[in-house]
Amino acid sequence: MKESTRYNRQTILPEIGGDGQQKISKSKVLVIGAGGLGASILPYLAGAGVGEIGIVDDDVIDVSNLHRQVIYETSAVGKSKAEEAKLMISELNPEIKVSAFSEKLSGKNAISLFEKYDIIVDATDNISIKYLINDACLVTNKPMVYGSIFRFQGQVSVFNYQNGPTYRCLYPDENLNALNCEDAGVIGVSVGIIGMFQANEVLKMILGIGEVLSGKILVYNTLKNEQQKYDFDRSDFQTISREAFEEKYNKCVIEEVSFDSVLDEINNDAVLFLDVRNIDESPKIALNNQIQIPLMNVEKEIEKLNKNQKIYVFCQSGIRSKMAVELLQKHQFENVKSIAGGVLAMKKLLQEIKI
Amino acid sequence: MIEVKYFGAVAEKTKCEFEKLSFSEELSLQKLLQDLNEKYEFESLTFSVAVNQKIVSKASDYTLQTTDIVALLPPFAGG
Repeated sequence: MKESTRYNRQTILPEIGGDGQQKISKSKVLVIGAGGLGASILPYLAGAGVGEIGIVDDDVIDVSNLHRQVIYETSAVGKSKAEEAKLMISELNPEIKVSAFSEKLSGKNAISLFEKYDIIVDATDNISIKYLINDACLVTNKPMVYGSIFRFQGQVSVFNYQNGPTYRCLYPDENLNALNCEDAGVIGVSVGIIGMFQANEVLKMILGIGEVLSGKILVYNTLKNEQQKYDFDRSDFQTISREAFEEKYNKCVIEEVSFDSVLDEINNDAVLFLDVRNIDESPKIALNNQIQIPLMNVEKEIEKLNKNQKIYVFCQSGIRSKMAVELLQKHQFENVKSIAGGVLAMKKLLQEIKI
Repeated sequence: MIEVKYFGAVAEKTKCEFEKLSFSEELSLQKLLQDLNEKYEFESLTFSVAVNQKIVSKASDYTLQTTDIVALLPPFAGG
């Protein structure tokens, strides 16, 4: 069989065998970040035959990435990292399923993405995303394979593995100051080495062999070839419920503005004033760039609105307009604000300035 | 003498990767960290602290022993 030839050199290892290969081909791994770490993790997982690989990255390839993100070609500069990485590893191993998600990981998509995979690999270069990955792993009960770099040093650990300690148990203070590669500088081999350690942990977990770096952080110094492991414990204060996750990452912030602060925009065609009162409500307001969709119809008639337009929503007193803003935000409208006090506040001001 | 190891951005501040410190009186971990902070002005740097390869609370009143190895481990962010 063609397949067994492909994996022959690893299946002849007594620790893997045919059963181990079955486990690998049934496994599903999501890699967040297709940068330096991802470029070393992805081809090895694909080569080993991980059955399903997801790649999340909203970035495009820059020529300054190529010295370390060695899976990309110079001709791919400007193209999506997730899509290009998918092409590369699908070519390497057409027998696996690869999905590219060219989007930014956020509180909105993290949980639904993580639910589809068994193991989540953090190959990002951003501390706040690491906390998000950690928290979404806790909510979905998935292990998180952490790796990161500071110049010639790297860290590797596996969090939330079989109820083991998490990123927050190691780093409870959510300080976002640590330098990434763009600011601190890095050489390709350093990220390659750390990415390889991460891919190794992924395969160990899938196969159930060796000792997983759970409750331990490995610190590697590439200049001295020194490595040390530090133990850490699980802290029960560092768990997070689904409700707390939603509260932290997905709480709608409804922005209110006063009408006088937006007065100079009433003749700006790039801006839309949206009246969500019912048709029969008065007093009437007639601004040039205004439309009326009663609140109960907003969802139904949402295609009348442009997601990228700046929209000021108003109603009679400023309550329904806030509900409309929340509704529009749920439909990915990002630039919507509610006018505080509604028409009652607007009318007064419009009379004063005689519009 | 105790040995203190520094990693990542912490080692950038201390300009060394380890040093040996002697102390005459009893020294708690908390006091050692205070002294180091005054000496090196870590300011906004975050790090975890390990004693003999084990991460411990920074507020620990643990009394350091002469053979202890302390390590200051900041999170890394590159990738």
